[in-house]
Amino acid sequence: MRNSRLLPILLPALLVQGCDYVTTPIEAPSGGNNGGEGVMRKVLLEDFTGHQCNNCPGATQTALQLQAVYPEALIVMGIHVINFAEPEAPAGDGFYDTDFRTPAGNDYADQFGVSFLPVGMVSRKEFNSSVLLDDDAWSSAVSAILGEPADFDVWFSLLEHDAGANTVSAELKVAVINPVSGDHNLTVCLTEDHVVDWQLNSQANPPDVPDYDHRHVLRTNLNGSWGDPVVTGSAATGDTLTFTYTDFPVDPAWNPANCALVGYVYNTASYEVMQAAQREFQP
Amino acid sequence: MCRPSRVKRGLAVVLPLSLLLPALAQEGGQLHGNFSTDVQYYNEDSAIGAVVPDQRLGANAWANLIYTHGNFELGGRFESYEPALVGYPAGQQYTGSGVGYRYAKFKQEDLEITVGNFFEQFGQGMIFRSYEERYLGVDNSMDGFQLKYRPYRGVYVKGVFGRQRFGFDDGTVKGVGIVRGLDTEVSLSELLDSAWTCSSNLIIGGSFVSKYQEDRDPLLELPENVGAWALRANLTTPRWNLYTEYAYKINDPNGKNGFIYKPGQALLVNATYSVKGFGASVGAHTFDNMFYQSDRAAPTPFDLNINFLPPLTKQHTYNLPATLYPYATQPNGEVSTQGEVFRKWKKGTALGGKYGTKLAVNYSVAYSLETTQLGAVDDTTQRLGYTTQFFLPGDRMYFQDFNIELRKKVSETWELALTYLNLVYDIDIIQGKPGKPLVYADIVILEGLHNFTDRNSLRFELQYLRSKQDQGNWVTGVAEFTFSPHWFIAAQDQYNYGGSVDVEPTHYPIGSVGYIRGGNRFQMNYGRQRAGIFCVGGVCRQVPAANGLALSITSTF
Repeated sequence: MRNSRLLPILLPALLVQGCDYVTTPIEAPSGGNNGGEGVMRKVLLEDFTGHQCNNCPGATQTALQLQAVYPEALIVMGIHVINFAEPEAPAGDGFYDTDFRTPAGNDYADQFGVSFLPVGMVSRKEFNSSVLLDDDAWSSAVSAILGEPADFDVWFSLLEHDAGANTVSAELKVAVINPVSGDHNLTVCLTEDHVVDWQLNSQANPPDVPDYDHRHVLRTNLNGSWGDPVVTGSAATGDTLTFTYTDFPVDPAWNPANCALVGYVYNTASYEVMQAAQREFQP
Repeated sequence: MCRPSRVKRGLAVVLPLSLLLPALAQEGGQLHGNFSTDVQYYNEDSAIGAVVPDQRLGANAWANLIYTHGNFELGGRFESYEPALVGYPAGQQYTGSGVGYRYAKFKQEDLEITVGNFFEQFGQGMIFRSYEERYLGVDNSMDGFQLKYRPYRGVYVKGVFGRQRFGFDDGTVKGVGIVRGLDTEVSLSELLDSAWTCSSNLIIGGSFVSKYQEDRDPLLELPENVGAWALRANLTTPRWNLYTEYAYKINDPNGKNGFIYKPGQALLVNATYSVKGFGASVGAHTFDNMFYQSDRAAPTPFDLNINFLPPLTKQHTYNLPATLYPYATQPNGEVSTQGEVFRKWKKGTALGGKYGTKLAVNYSVAYSLETTQLGAVDDTTQRLGYTTQFFLPGDRMYFQDFNIELRKKVSETWELALTYLNLVYDIDIIQGKPGKPLVYADIVILEGLHNFTDRNSLRFELQYLRSKQDQGNWVTGVAEFTFSPHWFIAAQDQYNYGGSVDVEPTHYPIGSVGYIRGGNRFQMNYGRQRAGIFCVGGVCRQVPAANGLALSITSTF
């Protein structure tokens, strides 16, 4: 009976230790945890979306909230894919006519098996055994990567937009900070922010919103869906590579004032994005 | 230095085990086990939208080995999914081959210790149930340790600690959260021994479970330790069985409840009365925000469930009601009630006739919870989600089932059963088909069994479903010949002709043949399997349409 007499003591202790009552659910902004010495990984959040996906604006809102918490460390890209992104017939009536889809976005949807929206990839890293994540999991997945030391540093050493020719030229540098093994590529994308167009939004009444603010829309890739090789086999610390893209044409329909280039290095075997950088045309 | 692959590591466990166990068995212990496999070859069949994987041959296989010697027990399960059958499992994917379950158990007087994997349940499971439902593809076994102790006669204490199975990739993949729990149960008739003089017994129990998961969310202050507790009482008499259990869960924001901080609670009450030839039961329950998973961002409702919410609707076994419109428990909120009456008239009575008659009437209904959404007065208030009045049903009916079954042996060689069901089914909520209207369905089923001889028999079913919604009308015919003791052969056809609903009329024929000998059972099916849902205990998974050849083998020793 001696052991059973301990139960009245142990049980309340377990009850107290096993419960965290939260009275203020909203976390105070901390500005992120990407500080500290050395280069840390930045995170690329690829938000698969579609203008006829009524729950997608809610997911995008989650992405933007995260970006507000980690303004320097989180890069968000809205990628319009699958049937939810198809223009609605008849063409020309101005109602869901815009086709935001891109060949690269379609390739990503095919490669990663996007079949429903909203869904996203956080640096294309598996979280809970899945690369495709519901927006509920984005914040945990982002914070799981941030703060990790980076193997690469990526930055735009030059970005020039020629307003007359409406072209963009850029120079990216990729520095190897830690020894790296395995093939890695660099992909460079062009995004446009604040594109006003139709969007189905379950949070709006009526849900068909003609002037929805589409954020960080993937417009095109400068070097194809899967980019250029950065590391083949392995690379030693200290290697720095320079990639130059000259006079890449910008579609006149895009507003250069809201355009940016995003560059990221990923492992070609796992597709995991190891480092990313973003630079706006007009900082 | 190379790290062994998971397959190699799995074999490193299994091979010594397979060599060691027979040797140990010769030392006086007992070794027993079983094997089962389901193999399917998939054909193209665009008429039914059949899913054809790249690898056209899928195979699931399991083998259990259990060695017992006195108070010691050692066991393991080898699993293989190369690849898994299409649509299997319900939650996270299973791939590869390896060890999915292994444990050692030791009992010393009143203390039982299990290390490794184990299954356990507290009460009805409303705050803790670790279980496997193989054909559903649900396995949330614990990996850690378990203690069971009887400190005094009639007093039972259980403690569990560990992490849950999440998926399978050449071996078990565990979830991120840690689960720990304690359960105590007191049986008064045993405790009081001779001082307890009545023929009844009262069992009371209480349990507490807590999960731990790190909070790395930058936007929300998430509780890392989420506790839940439950109290239960069970009064049994020679005629009555009364059971009630209440469970409460503290703030548990998670992906399934929209990350709200409202506590969850559940209450169930069941009463059954039975005497020879008559039985009746009534039950009711309410579940409010009771998803309880050891990972708050678990990808699907099937993954890492700590608890189990028992259904209160009849689990039909006939094909049409079982796979077209079965009810799935709604953990986020439901109020449900059920009543059933069973009567058996003895042979020789007016209603019993020469061979006796059985009648069962059952009714169940499930509603949404009556809730009031909390607006955006401030962030904290909004994060509480909603308010509700305990046990008050909302306006939305999820499910209703009235069914009556009459079963009668009409001659020495014939037995018949006639069943009628009337269903109301919210397919939008239960199967996640937004915008689809409520389904109203009437189903009539005639089942017959004819014994040609002591060894040879024919069982048949004729099923008819009428509905003006969803896929409209269906008829199903089943015929099963058994040539005891070894062979059986069966044919089934489901025909969806729509009726007032415009559908492409489609047949789903399947033929089966089976052979049973000793502890071995072989079955082969060929035909079409329509898309539907498969449910066990109120948990349902989608089954995709398929066309092909399927082989099942089970063996026990």
